[in-house]
Amino acid sequence: MARYGMALDYKNCINCKACEVACKEENGVLLGADKHRIWVGVKEIEGEWPLLDIASSTFMPSQCQHCEDAPCEEVCPTHATYYDENGVVRVDSNKCILCSYCMNACPYDARYVDDRTMTVDKCTFCSDTRLARGETTTACQNTCPTKVRTFGDLDDPNSEISVLLRTRDHFSLKSHLGTNPKLFYLT
Amino acid sequence: MEVEISRRKFLQGTVAMTVLGGTLATTSVFASEEKENQKNTPGIPKTVTTKTSTKKAKEVPFLCGMCVNKCAGVARVEDGIITKLNPNPYFPKSRNMLCPRGNAGIQTTYDPDRLKYPLIRIGKRGEGKFKRVSWEEAYDAILNGTKDFKGIVQILDEEKDNRSTIGYCNGEGLSKEGFEDLMGKKIGTPNYVDEVSICLETAGGGFFATLGVYPEIDFEHADYMIILGANRAEAIITPDTMDMFKHTKGRGLKTVCIDPRFTNTAAKADKWLPVNPGTDLAYILAMTYVIFSENLQNEEFMKKHGVGYEEYKQHILSKKYTPEWAEKITGIKAKDIYEMAHEFADAEHPIIYPGRRSIFSPNDYQLRRAMGILQALSGNLDKKGGYIYGNPIQLPAEYVNSPIYAQAKERFDTEGIAFPTIKSGSWIVFRNMILEGKNPYPVRAMFIRKHNPMMGVPNSAKTRKLLEKMDLNVVIDILPSDTAMFADVILPEASYLERTSPVKAYGFLEPSIVQRKAAIKPLYETKTPEVIYKELAEKLSKPLFEISKKYDKDLQEEIAKRGEEKVYKEDGYDLADAWDKSVEEKNKELVEKVYGKEAWEILDKNGVYYPHMEEYHKQLSPNDYQYYPKSKRFYSTKGDSLRVICKYDRLATKGIDAMPTWHDEWKFSVPKGKFRLITGRHAQFTQSGTTNNAMLRDLIPTNYLWINKRVAKEKGIKFGDMVEVKSEVGTVHLKAYPTEKIAPNQIFMLHGFGSESKGLELAYGNGANDAAVIKDDIEPVYGAAVMHSTNVEVRRV
Ligand code: SF4
Ligand code: SF4
Ligand code: SF4
Repeated sequence: MARYGMALDYKNCINCKACEVACKEENGVLLGADKHRIWVGVKEIEGEWPLLDIASSTFMPSQCQHCEDAPCEEVCPTHATYYDENGVVRVDSNKCILCSYCMNACPYDARYVDDRTMTVDKCTFCSDTRLARGETTTACQNTCPTKVRTFGDLDDPNSEISVLLRTRDHFSLKSHLGTNPKLFYLT
Repeated sequence: MEVEISRRKFLQGTVAMTVLGGTLATTSVFASEEKENQKNTPGIPKTVTTKTSTKKAKEVPFLCGMCVNKCAGVARVEDGIITKLNPNPYFPKSRNMLCPRGNAGIQTTYDPDRLKYPLIRIGKRGEGKFKRVSWEEAYDAILNGTKDFKGIVQILDEEKDNRSTIGYCNGEGLSKEGFEDLMGKKIGTPNYVDEVSICLETAGGGFFATLGVYPEIDFEHADYMIILGANRAEAIITPDTMDMFKHTKGRGLKTVCIDPRFTNTAAKADKWLPVNPGTDLAYILAMTYVIFSENLQNEEFMKKHGVGYEEYKQHILSKKYTPEWAEKITGIKAKDIYEMAHEFADAEHPIIYPGRRSIFSPNDYQLRRAMGILQALSGNLDKKGGYIYGNPIQLPAEYVNSPIYAQAKERFDTEGIAFPTIKSGSWIVFRNMILEGKNPYPVRAMFIRKHNPMMGVPNSAKTRKLLEKMDLNVVIDILPSDTAMFADVILPEASYLERTSPVKAYGFLEPSIVQRKAAIKPLYETKTPEVIYKELAEKLSKPLFEISKKYDKDLQEEIAKRGEEKVYKEDGYDLADAWDKSVEEKNKELVEKVYGKEAWEILDKNGVYYPHMEEYHKQLSPNDYQYYPKSKRFYSTKGDSLRVICKYDRLATKGIDAMPTWHDEWKFSVPKGKFRLITGRHAQFTQSGTTNNAMLRDLIPTNYLWINKRVAKEKGIKFGDMVEVKSEVGTVHLKAYPTEKIAPNQIFMLHGFGSESKGLELAYGNGANDAAVIKDDIEPVYGAAVMHSTNVEVRRV
């Protein structure tokens, strides 16, 4: 029993996408640019050459937020989407009927369709691969060149993530929606 | 805070992602039916990506071969299949990470387009028609030719044993030295070209000549950085990329990025200043001018370590390299230059980032010299937070018994070069002199390993002519590259995950020795490079000796004196004797000899070794490791022996400025209606070698032409429109990406795309090959390729 979350030192992110590749290789995710479980949000920079607004050009690594009050879970008619014992939001592909309610309900656009199973797929925090083997990092965290990501147990006061969240300012995305996301962006 | 998170936005926002995998209807020239069958071959994964299982797996330490950095990883092997590559936390240089290419290495090893067995050309050169043969037949074709091409025996016989009639080239990698041993030391030709003269030769050379080092940087303690042209967020260099960006953006390392275009590195800087391509030297000289004119330099340090220091000061001041002067040349405002000079002088640990990038302008050597001297003016050398010389940990070089061939001639590629490099010469000058008939003796064969000059050397049309001119082209590689299309014989090599490579030492701040071990056995009929060298040497040895016996008077005399068998063995004519031992045996022997048995055991198990590793190496957090405690790192190693060569008289003996000097012929100008073409890299691929990687293609499906948005609008060019880019040497087509990240008179495209090899299903016809349009200009010191001197026309097609 744990309550898993991830802290992102997003200012370190160089948009290299090592995390996306590591995720795909670890979890056997299908090829295809729209099949990413995780991604980096980028905006085209504002301004006109040579006066460009550097601040408008940020790289925001993102993925399923593993919301504590997950709209995707609420709308799922078959309970295919569920919270596992570690607070990770998972999809049981045996129950998923691809009604795609969850895809519409998710405010973070975190879900996509796996064409092999024709069910909805998303980030699992490597629960059925790395964590199942007893490893303590996700694939994306482990490989990141600039060490953007810290995954861990929010309930363990001594975990690295708990220490980070205690000692550093952070924000979460679309917090006004009351989803209580468990991805934390460190400032 | 408004932030961008949406997947759809991500798909739209990243130019790389916008046009999704338009399927290319091509058929592989290499056995398409095999691709179908491949799924059932043992040892080949059934799906493109393989979900890792919960079973225990074999874990093999390897070194990444997707680019030059050699990051350390651990391969997870399940039932003989590599299912995942993870970072190896022991290697100081790679800081417990693998980049996207490193992670996607699996797709290179299991690329269905790989060269799987030896091939012999049966069609016309470049047509891509080959016949599958056995290794024995392939070696035999190299030796004796076929009805379609001549073999090496005939060529050398006709050329009376002039070994120099054979040329060879090899791209960067751990087995490169072995190929140099085979071709240069054993077969005996000096005519070697490699990636150095199309990469960063002047950067290494300029810094070495000035400071005696091409330094590493201690980013942890540096507090101010000016980074010119080098795009460290996208052209990943270890450990720089990992260290730098943990400290940028208001976290200790104030950063100014100077680059013609707005790169991801610029996005991570505090300030970005576009500079006119090729004028960085004027900017550095103006920085130096401000320092001297306001007396901001570390005078004591320079008095002690500078050579020709006073003269340099006078030179800079008397030439009046003022910021106002530089503004007109560089486009960087004088006030910005003053500000940077003051910030640089005020910082405790300022850095002019020396790091890697290609040679962009003919003055690059002088630029590097000026950068090195400017850095030295701060005194921030050989110490914490500065340029690091470190500990050059080394392994002794292998001894190769090389025969001396009396009939072999010297290399000739020296035209227009002040200081020709004897070892690997100049690609462009070598090629062009042959095409212009300026070679004093014929060059009739090319042996090409892990190198794709058709896409790497500027002016592809000329490279094509060179390859067409040869009597024999032998290609050793893992994929059917554009260059491989011109081969007569193709020898398929094992990819880096299928081979154990010679051990390698890395120096600087935290030195270590690393070893790549084979995660799996070579797939299909491929062989490891060292096995290929050995077998080829065995095959060639006796027949080539016979030719020497016929033409080499010195050899004839020796044989008369000492007897044939003795001379053959003792004087190195037994070409295969350099590979009597396997790589594994050599590694063990070498490491045990220098560092002892225990060191070898640690290295063999972990992939990494350095003295006291077991004591020093610690995990500090889930992400961070200590490799050496700070007190044991090699921050300062030079002491009084440090030299800063401000004036280098030897240069003047060959007409090169002894002190960095600006010449107006380097001014940037583009005729109206034209554009200056600039080129560069991206984090999701290396060079042409990775554009057929299925996983990476997901991330960056093609290269786009960056063109200024307003200019594009005037020309009626919209995103995704096909445009033609035409220079005086070639024409290419690619899709447009209008953006404000580039100046109105410049365009940019990523290097490495636009393959014409039908053997590469994903890379074929995808995007544009920059080498086809870049002119073959050289810089004067080494004859190295200049990448940013080409003006082009752009139109919608
Ligand atoms: S691996 Fe790290 S730096 Fe690279 S895109 Fe992912 S989060 Fe960003
Ligand atoms: S981010 Fe989306 S998919 Fe993930 S838990 Fe929240 S609502 Fe569900
Ligand atoms: S930087 Fe990336 S591609 Fe280069 S060696 Fe490291 S992991 Fe491999």
